[in-house]
Amino acid sequence: MIKFHPNKKMLTAFSAGELPLSLSIAVSAHIELCEECAQQAQQVEESLSHDTWHDESLENADFGDMLQSIMTTSFEPLETVVRAPHARVHIAGRDYQLPTAFRQYQDLKWSGFGAISRARIVNDEKNVRASLLHIGEGGRIPEHKHKGYELTLLLDGSFTDESGTYEKGDFILLDGDKSHSPYTEKGCLCYAVQDAPLHFMSGVSKVLNPLGNLIY
Amino acid sequence: MIELIANSTDNILNNHTIKLLDEEQQQINDWLDLVAKQQDKRAFSQLFTFFAPRIRSHGLKKFRQEAQAMELVQETMMLVWRKACQFNADKGKASTWIYTIMRNYSFDMLRKVQSNKEDLISEDLWPMLDVEEDTDEQDHLQSRHLLSYINTLPTLQKQVVEGIYIEDKTQQELADELSVPVGTIKSRLRLAMIKLRDMMEDKS
Repeated sequence: MIKFHPNKKMLTAFSAGELPLSLSIAVSAHIELCEECAQQAQQVEESLSHDTWHDESLENADFGDMLQSIMTTSFEPLETVVRAPHARVHIAGRDYQLPTAFRQYQDLKWSGFGAISRARIVNDEKNVRASLLHIGEGGRIPEHKHKGYELTLLLDGSFTDESGTYEKGDFILLDGDKSHSPYTEKGCLCYAVQDAPLHFMSGVSKVLNPLGNLIY
Repeated sequence: MIELIANSTDNILNNHTIKLLDEEQQQINDWLDLVAKQQDKRAFSQLFTFFAPRIRSHGLKKFRQEAQAMELVQETMMLVWRKACQFNADKGKASTWIYTIMRNYSFDMLRKVQSNKEDLISEDLWPMLDVEEDTDEQDHLQSRHLLSYINTLPTLQKQVVEGIYIEDKTQQELADELSVPVGTIKSRLRLAMIKLRDMMEDKS
């Protein structure tokens, strides 16, 4: 049972195509796992569509021969849509099926530190880094917080932190104030988006720096 | 009494507004249907007249440049013309469908402008999930292949793969059962996975 969902504002920004790719992937993947949000997104699309097409500030424009050129362009019929093959990822001896949003990310380069493996997904949005994170059985990420935000979408398995236990599909958004130390008993696969490096709370942060760099 | 009358006039007015919108939506659905069924140029011209200025105005807000707003009009309307037969009226309004086509194209356009990436990822972010699924068959085929590959593994590796993936045991349970350390289970599993992957890759 999914307990954590993107809020209405984020769902609306996603449906309007206004979220950056890193967060769009997270919302899209959540929607594929969550029937409730899928329905809500559909309603949001309808109302965005309504607002866009009924915008009063409309001015006339000259489209030249655009209409004619479209209708006289010959094209291959696009009648059947074949659903894309699923995205899959193989890590730490296990094979996972991922939501469609990850379909383009097949040739992933994994790097590891202890029980944690990371593969970069999005890396072209200023400070934002988005990655797949795999945490093996019994793995823990030491207590940390972020200067910015941290979004975690749980794709498989489960993990627990100070606020509770999360299941597949949970969409967990933390802002800079909260610190946590996620722990997984049986292992889990997450999609994580952060806009600043992890800041470890314990005194031995220097030792943990490689881990922080790996995760961010 | 007077209040009651006032209320009922309001209702009629409201109904009237709603009805007008519905007619407009119905009209758009009908035009798109004609384009889908017989590539009706007159119907498409009507769609163009309604949507082109609206798409341009949306594009101007988004890109702040005339050329890009015009590209958005051109490409969205081209896709409507080509993809009309994919529209399924049971799933929603035609105007919403056209909105999603515009939204997807402008997402990819913005990405090209901002990151110089042409990954056309919008189709993966907003996949059409309600279309025919023929990948199931593919999956069955793949499972069948996979099962036959598992059978060709050396006995010790086969035991581990079957234990974990088919009988759903944990690595610890298997280790106890076979009286070997968990590390041995892990390494057997890893070897088996490499072999299976190689076999799958050879096949495809």
